[in-house]
Amino acid sequence: MIDLSMIEWGDIAFATWETLVMTGVSLFFTILFGLPLGILLFVTSNGQLLERRGLYRVLSFIVNVLRSVPFLILLIVMIPVTVILIGTSLGVEGAIPPLVVATAPFFARLVENVLREIDRGIIEACQSMGIRTHRIIFGALLPEALPGLIAATTVTAITLISYAAMSGVIGGGGLGDLAIRFGYQRFQTEVMVITVALLVVLVQLIQHAGDRLVLHFTRK
Amino acid sequence: MIKIERLSKTYRVEGQEVSALDDITLEIGKGEVFGIIGRSGAGKSTLLRSLNLLERPSTGQVLIDGEDITGFDHNRLHTLRQRIGMIFQHFNLLSAKTVAGNIDWPLRCTGNLDAARRAERVSELLALVGLSEHANKYPAQLSGGQKQRVGIARALANRPRLLLCDEATSALDPETTQSILRLLLDINRRLGLTIVLITHEMQVIRTLCDRVAVIDGGRIVESGRVADVFLHPRHPVTRSMVAQGDPLTAAMLDPAHAFAQDKLRGTLVRLTYLGDVTYQPILSRIMAASAARFTILQGEVSSIKDLPFGQLLLELEGGNEDIRKVFAELDRHRIHHEVLQ
Repeated sequence: MIDLSMIEWGDIAFATWETLVMTGVSLFFTILFGLPLGILLFVTSNGQLLERRGLYRVLSFIVNVLRSVPFLILLIVMIPVTVILIGTSLGVEGAIPPLVVATAPFFARLVENVLREIDRGIIEACQSMGIRTHRIIFGALLPEALPGLIAATTVTAITLISYAAMSGVIGGGGLGDLAIRFGYQRFQTEVMVITVALLVVLVQLIQHAGDRLVLHFTRK
Repeated sequence: MIKIERLSKTYRVEGQEVSALDDITLEIGKGEVFGIIGRSGAGKSTLLRSLNLLERPSTGQVLIDGEDITGFDHNRLHTLRQRIGMIFQHFNLLSAKTVAGNIDWPLRCTGNLDAARRAERVSELLALVGLSEHANKYPAQLSGGQKQRVGIARALANRPRLLLCDEATSALDPETTQSILRLLLDINRRLGLTIVLITHEMQVIRTLCDRVAVIDGGRIVESGRVADVFLHPRHPVTRSMVAQGDPLTAAMLDPAHAFAQDKLRGTLVRLTYLGDVTYQPILSRIMAASAARFTILQGEVSSIKDLPFGQLLLELEGGNEDIRKVFAELDRHRIHHEVLQ
């Protein structure tokens, strides 16, 4: 039987808060870097508005390299960079740079694909009206892509939750850290069960909220 | 207004040169409705897109009001395109914007009107295309015909002098097609707008166009007034386009296939005529002058745009002299006739 009386609920609440902060802040920076990168990938690709084959190849290569490094290894490789950036590689702050580096290229690729799904005819219609490229991108394409972009953000947020939990391995904070230190290293199965249950609930909530938003902004 | 001179376009596909347009020369007048008809892949879409440089021609010139647009830089091209409207087969509306938002979009991006003037222009355009009640709907809530009306309003927003129609009715049912064609004709007359359209449907050309060019394999194989091309198609492609979906005309162009040969004894003659003569009792007049007898095998009296016309397939029976007299009378009344067999 699982004995819940042993559990320090205060610790769990704090760890949940830390997970939310890590995910939230990382998501913010992931969008900050990933969205422009995704747009750039799309517009510079073959046959698109600002076709630049060389630039596309370079960007695409970098994205692929970052996406092919396993997250656990990226966490370790990033330690010196993180120390330079924010002074520590530990705790909630220390987890954020590797999280962003891991998910921004992933998000960028999702953004590129969402934009690619937009009917080519819409771009042609805008061009035929003599509308400038930056207005086509920001005034027509992004609003058209909004439901897809929200869905991509949802997927990315969920990926971040699981990555954030993994950062517990190298001393990041949050539910993952709690699960490893108490649930695994001190054999408190109850803590493990509860952290996993909380992660499941978090993921469900994010997916549900994302789906609702997508539906709200879909005009088709 | 538009002069296309020796226009060619070649693509490189896997190292091979593919010719999409081959030495096209055309002239389109101000206020004219000009149709380009051809099968799919004939090059009509490339030709239409050369008029606003969505396609860059490889060689040749496109002159609009005397200026060769193929040499335009980015800025001049943007300004030019703002004065050329375009509508599309699949409408290409912005699904995230309302009907009013779609019409406002080119005004907001290109015009120099303030918000109040733009709103005024949008409601003017909505009234023009008959969609005033649907201003706040999204395109997904509209029927195909209504979507194309939004497309037309959007294309007219910046008061263009030229409207390009890319298979604008090909995705619509026949009834809706007719209502869109009527709207385009109305706009052409009221605003004096020049319209260039491409289509694969002869019916569209008959309803809307003043002149037509038939394109095949990237070349113009025939062009002229719609009535002339329609009633007297010379090129095989034109003949098949005219006959397509029109069994009546098909039978008249090729009676050997349409009628049982053993039933036919006399001379088969096809008469065609245009204009006021359509309303005159020409057959009785002509036959009164001859002892020949006639049977009407096939016939159509209708109009091409506003021009009434008739075409009749007659079987004439009688002596050579009687038939000669009939032909002389036809010539006197300026009725075109050709002996088919």
